[in-house]
Amino acid sequence: MNKLLFSLFLAAGIFGTFSIPQAQALDFGKVLKDAVKDKVEEVKNGGETPAPAASPNNASSPAVETSASPAATPAVATSPAQPEFNWKNPSQQEEIALGREITGSLLGAAPLVKDEALQKYVNQVGRWVANQSERADLPWKFGVIESNDLNAFAAPGGYVLITKGLYQKLHSEAQLAGVLGHEIAHVVKKHQLKVLQKQQLLGYGAGKLSDLLGKNDKLAKKALGTGAEISARSLDKDAEFEADRMGMILATRAGYDAYGLADVLQTIGQTNKNDSSVALLFKTHPAPDERLAKLGDSVGGNLDNIKAGKTLENRLYKLN
Amino acid sequence: MRNCLKLLILIGLATSLASPILGLAGDAGTALKTDTIRAEPFADAKTVGSLAKNDAVDILTKKGAWLQIKTKKSAGWVRLLSVKRGASSSANNGKGVIDVASGRAGTGQVVSTTGIRGLSAEDLKAAKFNEEEMKKMESHTLSARDGQSFASAGGLNAVKLAYLKGAK
Ligand SMILES: [Zn+2]
Repeated sequence: MNKLLFSLFLAAGIFGTFSIPQAQALDFGKVLKDAVKDKVEEVKNGGETPAPAASPNNASSPAVETSASPAATPAVATSPAQPEFNWKNPSQQEEIALGREITGSLLGAAPLVKDEALQKYVNQVGRWVANQSERADLPWKFGVIESNDLNAFAAPGGYVLITKGLYQKLHSEAQLAGVLGHEIAHVVKKHQLKVLQKQQLLGYGAGKLSDLLGKNDKLAKKALGTGAEISARSLDKDAEFEADRMGMILATRAGYDAYGLADVLQTIGQTNKNDSSVALLFKTHPAPDERLAKLGDSVGGNLDNIKAGKTLENRLYKLN
Repeated sequence: MRNCLKLLILIGLATSLASPILGLAGDAGTALKTDTIRAEPFADAKTVGSLAKNDAVDILTKKGAWLQIKTKKSAGWVRLLSVKRGASSSANNGKGVIDVASGRAGTGQVVSTTGIRGLSAEDLKAAKFNEEEMKKMESHTLSARDGQSFASAGGLNAVKLAYLKGAK
């Protein structure tokens, strides 16, 4: 189940996605489990759903039972009360907590590049680009990770990672701004969050939940479907095209040359399709050609009257 | 010493000039879509020809959002996003085959299992939440104000601009 969620969230990475063939143990699952547990508690405590779960003799709910007698006051059994994760309308706080779990797991696979000046630099560029968005209030966080893949990722709440491999392909700050802009757009539009919400709301209806008590793994499977389904869902081309359009504009609003993102798509398009660094990307995402063409259709003459932005080649932080 | 420095600077300059945002003149390109070829890099410049999807082009230079190109039939300026760099995709496939034959494509595959080269399925399977790295990432968080000063230092000014609509 963790694998499914993991790929879901990372799927909207700019150039690639994790389509992982097998299940794995990412801590993100904990968030989900907690959410389920809280929901379960709510049910047990006489929440909105009268369910078999409320029965003290329900043997199928050991996971959420405490040693206290079921007759004891629930407030004691469940305190300190964990706030329920509100999938229907997550607060900004919840969104950030979710993004933290996802990003932390990704960092477990690929740590940050040990270069403080680099990490500071991407945060400066990213923060300035994010300032141009409708969600400038988020505590935006950016990082460069140790991977030679060409990729970048966004997670709910304002987490953005770019691989070292992609960073090394960049020639200017404007190009970095374009890539980060694309990821920022995913967060602003809540692309990843929406996909997961849809899954949650389909599978975790309050009525159904009670039937599934104590069968956490199966519960998750039932809610999330097969990996193939998830992968198909993660390939929402329109979300990618939208992030391209928005990312381009965010970078342009920030005063950069409008074509930084397009430059990077050109570079990606020239990468050998058989290169492992882009294997997943080319398999699961719209081709760079298609993205460029779509972007061109949207741009048309709309930027003809915009004063040329800066590329800032010389300020791009050079990796050793 | 001084001359050495000068020389270094000159070399540095030369490299940065040569380092392509877009490749040097004469690069091969392919038309991504139908477009009008114009006499000058402006939307209202005279039409001198047209570009059909998949036309092979020579990219001569770049100016703002425009590329100066040459096709078999005509020469002039087209919008930057109408052309992709590199030959057509069929030619690209051919290149791939050669790389596979020479073992180049395989190399990346092998190294990717180290967990540093790539983010392989194996790497992700073993991935566990890393609190330490997360804390490190969080330690770099900047405020909106920090972003603003960084922009000012680079001479970047915010521009008012609406988002683009999606094309059909
Ligand atoms: Zn994306």
